[in-house]
Amino acid sequence: MASLELSDIRKSYGATAVLDGVSLTMEAREFIAFLGPSGSGKSTLLRIIAGLETLDGGEVRLDGRRIDQVPPGDRGVAMVFQHYALYPHMSVRENMAFGLRNVGVPRDEIERRVADAARVLEIEVHLDKKPGQMSGGQRQRVAIGRAIVKHPKLFLLDEPLSNLDAALRMRTRIELAQIRSRVDAAFIMVTHDQAEAMTLADRIVVMNDRKIQQVGPPMEIYSRPANTFVARFVGSPAMTLAPVELVPDDGLYARVRLGDGAEIETRVPRSELPAGGTLQIGLRPESVAVAANGAATTQAKVELVERLGERTLVYARLSDNRAITAEDEGYSRVNVGDTVGLRIDGAAAHLFDAEERGYHAEARPE
Amino acid sequence: MAAEASRSRWSPLTLLAILLAAAVMLAPLIWTLLLSLKENEALIGNSGAALSPPYTLENYRSILQGNQVFRWLVNSIIVSGGTTIGVLALCSLAGFGFARLDFPFRRTLFIFVLLGLAIPEQAVILPQHQLFADLRLHNSYPGLILPGLAGPFGVFFMTQYMRAIPKELDEAAMLDGASRFTLFWKVLLPLTMPAQATLGVFTFLASWNAYWWPLISATRSDMYTLTVGLAAAQMNYAQTSGLGFLMAQAVFASIPIFIVYVLFQKQIVRAMAGTAVR
Ligand SMILES: Nc1ncnc2c1ncn2[C@@H]1O[C@H](COP(=O)(O)OP(=O)(O)OP(=O)(O)O)[C@@H](O)[C@H]1O
Ligand SMILES: [Mg+2]
Repeated sequence: MASLELSDIRKSYGATAVLDGVSLTMEAREFIAFLGPSGSGKSTLLRIIAGLETLDGGEVRLDGRRIDQVPPGDRGVAMVFQHYALYPHMSVRENMAFGLRNVGVPRDEIERRVADAARVLEIEVHLDKKPGQMSGGQRQRVAIGRAIVKHPKLFLLDEPLSNLDAALRMRTRIELAQIRSRVDAAFIMVTHDQAEAMTLADRIVVMNDRKIQQVGPPMEIYSRPANTFVARFVGSPAMTLAPVELVPDDGLYARVRLGDGAEIETRVPRSELPAGGTLQIGLRPESVAVAANGAATTQAKVELVERLGERTLVYARLSDNRAITAEDEGYSRVNVGDTVGLRIDGAAAHLFDAEERGYHAEARPE
Repeated sequence: MAAEASRSRWSPLTLLAILLAAAVMLAPLIWTLLLSLKENEALIGNSGAALSPPYTLENYRSILQGNQVFRWLVNSIIVSGGTTIGVLALCSLAGFGFARLDFPFRRTLFIFVLLGLAIPEQAVILPQHQLFADLRLHNSYPGLILPGLAGPFGVFFMTQYMRAIPKELDEAAMLDGASRFTLFWKVLLPLTMPAQATLGVFTFLASWNAYWWPLISATRSDMYTLTVGLAAAQMNYAQTSGLGFLMAQAVFASIPIFIVYVLFQKQIVRAMAGTAVR
């Protein structure tokens, strides 16, 4: 059964539209990540679901019940705020109990739930401390605990890990995954961090420009981006995009020519492509390898070399001055200013039409 | 804790400067106290005599013998206490309203309140007197308390303080199913405690020292506040009593204020340092 259903959500602040016809259906117990650049309306959408923001149009349903006119406290959702928003004058225990008291949960039940959550989150020893006496990571747990005790149907997390340092973020990420497997609820997490979205989410919702750009499982978002925005936004460093010409022949797959004349045999079925119109090729760095001249598809002049340890990123320019990002092994001998051969793996190439829609290699049989 | 850490960091020079400043501030107070402990006759012609014994509590005894002094003290406590409680209640509610509720003409109304800051008491004293006369409120506690409740500064102060509390707390409380009142009472109000203490102390002080309106409004000596009463007594005894008695009155009148400061010292300092909400 679907848990959350958004249909045609619209929202503007004054004359500025922020969300324009957003629809989404979540499965029961699903974990969804909202991913998108700053200002793309992720928080706004989350806050609409929570009831902290009114909507101009559309419907929000949770477990079949329409909730967009219901007060936030009665919606069956719990939110973890980016800056935690713990009540500074209350102890950890009181922070967690506050929401339960307000809705009249019996005292012993409150105590039981708080104790349970504290045990799961390992904050039992801190129960009588004030938030001000705790570290960021501990406060984060309290914030999560405050959500858990409410037994919500849906958890809303707005960049829950962004205030933690790298090590703690990693740990909390794992803990989030564990909590998620324990509670019977759906999760929505807003994040800037692709790695977070990729590792935690069942599906990622990529947002930009007032709309949902693509919804899908992490690997699908990565390997079959719906459009150039998703293609460039997901993956680091970003996918190289370059205009190409379709080489006319009667092969099953599209064969394209780069600006410098090099030809690439893709695995995108020719029949799927629109007739006419311009095309762009999309190449992830890992499908462009530095290669000896014999094996090379084309040549490029190296502008920047980033040695990351296990691999080396090579930023280069083709002879028609197009930027391209390639990968080399960890101990790369490539230097800035060199002209190197690049071997392009056509099977992993993506094509985008004039409307920037993406076309991909036929799903490979596993 | 933080105060201790910074104390140890003070250099001797800073410490010296602070001690000096403290001495300058304290000198007149100690001088007043010493004068009040001398017989009036001893001070005639040479107030320097205050620096050496003998000392006596004679002046304080005469104050307490003025049979109405206790009545005035009680009046002052009722009026200042009432004013303080009233101001805190009104300003907290108004601050909550201006900082958190959305209602028509909110900004206009707030500006209107701020304009009140620019109007001196003297400018409205005649109509105010007339109004209270019409309402038959002169020589009553409401008559002494009510004018003090109209405090634009307090409203401004509490509004600013509440605005500085992150809105996320309100939102968290809403998601926690809190009503508006619960939000105000259980979340925001406790967080404004430092501001309440500051505003409370200043209001109490101002009310305690108020002279003009009580002088106008309370014409019956049993409704005098301490300031008015002591001043009246001074006129009566101006010839017979001297400097020592005067100073004893000053000391006596400031005792409650002193107590208030001692009790609320921590909150006052904290509010001044602006570390109330983290
Ligand atoms: N209260 C508001 N009034 C006017 N405009 C707003 C308001 N809140 C958000 N906006 C605008 O709505 C747009 C979306 O904001 P939102 O906070 O949802 O973005 P976001 O995707 O969460 O960004 P970030 O990743 O930076 O948190 C932004 O352009 C922002 O300026
Ligand atoms: Mg945001």
